[in-house]
Amino acid sequence: MLHLTIEGREVEARGGCSILQAYVQAGETLVEGVGCMGQGVCGSCRVMVRLSGEKEVRTALACETLVQEGMQVAFLDYFTEATRHTYDLEDIGDSWQVLRTITDVFPEAPHCRHCSGCDRACPKDLEVQRGVNLAVEGKLAEASHVFDECVMCNLCTLACPESIRPNHLGLFVRRIVASQALRPANLMLRLRQVENGEMTIDFDAPGARPPA
Amino acid sequence: MPAGIPYEEARTRYQVGGQPRMRADDASVAELLRAWHPDHGAGARVALAVGVNRGEPCQPDLARHLQANALIDDVDIAGAQLTTTDVLVIGGGGGGCAAALTAAGEGARVILATKLRLGDSNTVMAEGGIQAAIGDDDSPQRHFEDTLRAGHFRGEPELVARMVMEGPDVIRWLIRLGMMFDQEEGQLMGGNLLRKKPGGATAARILSYRDYTGLEMMRVLREAVDLAPGIEVWNRCAAVELLSDERGRCAGAVLYNMEWRSFVLVRARAVVLATGGAGRLHLNAFPTSNHYGATADGLVLAYRLGARMRDLDSFQYHPTGIAHPPHLAGALISEAARSAGAKLLNGEGERFIDELQPRDVVASAILRECAQGRGIARDGQLGVLLDIPTLERENPGILAKRLVTVRHLAHKCGIDATQEPFLVYPTLHYQNGGAEVDVHGATAVPGLFCAGEVTGGIHGRNRLMGNALLDILSMGRRAGAKAASRDGAVPAIRAGIGHVHAWQRELTAAGLPLDARAPLLFPDYAHFDLQADAGLGSGAHARVVGGLR
Repeated sequence: MLHLTIEGREVEARGGCSILQAYVQAGETLVEGVGCMGQGVCGSCRVMVRLSGEKEVRTALACETLVQEGMQVAFLDYFTEATRHTYDLEDIGDSWQVLRTITDVFPEAPHCRHCSGCDRACPKDLEVQRGVNLAVEGKLAEASHVFDECVMCNLCTLACPESIRPNHLGLFVRRIVASQALRPANLMLRLRQVENGEMTIDFDAPGARPPA
Repeated sequence: MPAGIPYEEARTRYQVGGQPRMRADDASVAELLRAWHPDHGAGARVALAVGVNRGEPCQPDLARHLQANALIDDVDIAGAQLTTTDVLVIGGGGGGCAAALTAAGEGARVILATKLRLGDSNTVMAEGGIQAAIGDDDSPQRHFEDTLRAGHFRGEPELVARMVMEGPDVIRWLIRLGMMFDQEEGQLMGGNLLRKKPGGATAARILSYRDYTGLEMMRVLREAVDLAPGIEVWNRCAAVELLSDERGRCAGAVLYNMEWRSFVLVRARAVVLATGGAGRLHLNAFPTSNHYGATADGLVLAYRLGARMRDLDSFQYHPTGIAHPPHLAGALISEAARSAGAKLLNGEGERFIDELQPRDVVASAILRECAQGRGIARDGQLGVLLDIPTLERENPGILAKRLVTVRHLAHKCGIDATQEPFLVYPTLHYQNGGAEVDVHGATAVPGLFCAGEVTGGIHGRNRLMGNALLDILSMGRRAGAKAASRDGAVPAIRAGIGHVHAWQRELTAAGLPLDARAPLLFPDYAHFDLQADAGLGSGAHARVVGGLR
């Protein structure tokens, strides 16, 4: 059995299990800071972890981090931000002005200090800072791909001294790209066919009935 | 658990790029399902003793929850804070967000209450994609027929027809909200959306974003809800009971605010339940791919208020859950892997089923291999092999480009996905049945709407990959719009939990115990007890609440 500390409690755990599993197997209540329980996509189980004998504290997702002997773990609460970057995609009229739109909505984004705190905070190892800088330069497609696998855990937002909220900036850029530019031919054609009444459902077609 | 072939022995029969033969088999699909699917067999169902579906079959573990007493009584909510809204949406996944966005778009005041946080749901975990018939070799009619056939012709044609006809418009709605989709080539304007073929379908109809479509969808929907001025989001507020008026209408809900440890009464003109399914009840002791909050809450609450249910004995066991390592048991390997051509192999090194058959057929075939001793045993876990390495060899780069989460999962399993196959076993994935609804998501209880996995009828008795995401959005939008309309809505004069008293009398008359309570809210291993947490009753025997709550 391994011995570790989670939320100040001494916990015993078998090797090979995640922090979340160790916590519930130790009989503790777990109804917050939990979501997908292992897939690593919901971004709920944010923790700070210090390994035995190390000074440095790193951030991680508890469902994806396996227990180690002597590990210390503290969960990070979600907080509600006092200010947020609000926008309505419908209001983005002239896409030639998209650079201005980005800095209007995220006025802190050009002030990136290049401290790389966001990069170190990201449990998915995304190049967050690069994504922020690309967005400010207008390289929207490239910026959007940086945030492809972002799970919106908000750890980069917690880490940013300029309050840029990098993950929300990344999502904003992604949403702009899709809503302004993605116009798939096969979808547009099918929509027209449906709207023209060319596509209807025959409830009595042979394939709509059970085989005899 | 039956014995299997030791992993080391099975591994010697496997080689990357091998061309395994298919084991001869003359069993029909019907025989395979009847003999091996968990929905069949002696212990698969009991007759419900109370409620509108009395006498009808239900999965036994679920029946215990449906036939339980309420979590609260009048005295517990006396003096509770009261608030009002036009539409109360319960559930923070894709269906709830679609309903809330649509209702708010119609001008309604909306409260969206969710047990964990906005977005914590099965939607965010969906990998494969969403169905919409947009190919030139495809049509809504084909989508309609495929859905009915996969559901063994037990789905409601009216509901299915509405869903498939709306498919293309749902995709446009998502793009307008800023969701990205994979394309055949890189061009955004005028290119084609990439289509993949789901098991059980006659055309390539799955639209996706990599193999984390649900993540891409949910982060867009969550942001849209969060920024919508007409929607208040109440995180960490679990629904513990619905409110009814003197005419039996739904008049809102009792929520338990986990942070304040207190009850809040929300009176609403209409309630939309989008609470998802029952995977975390671990029915039939199966592992599950489901989110932590999937504890059948909406099914329990709707049934107690008198909503009619259907197909409560029909569940989907996804064929490819992880079997090894044990701590990841139940985690899903997306159907995208089989869709792309990955094969299943038993311990003899043989294929034993066409991998692109519907999920219930493939899952049954795996259960049969394991039960008949051709499964593979490793560290107390039993399963069959999913051959990803050969797929990668035949399609170099597919793991890096299309099956990103499969590669991540292999990493978590401690295997090299280009060399080692996964050990897989079916995992409890989806509740096929649920509340009966019309095309607007309306239940038989006035004022109560349902959307998504909590409903039954669209998927019949088996669901196609990619139809869940389309279901939650098309039905969620319609339920939200209808709930926001004032059609026939007369504000309740009084709202309370009178239906609970009638329910308790019914339980007593049926000889059922009053001390079994539901909904569960969290899985057993969460160590959460509402009675203790809220200080209800004496609470003296309850465990001191600690940990993360």
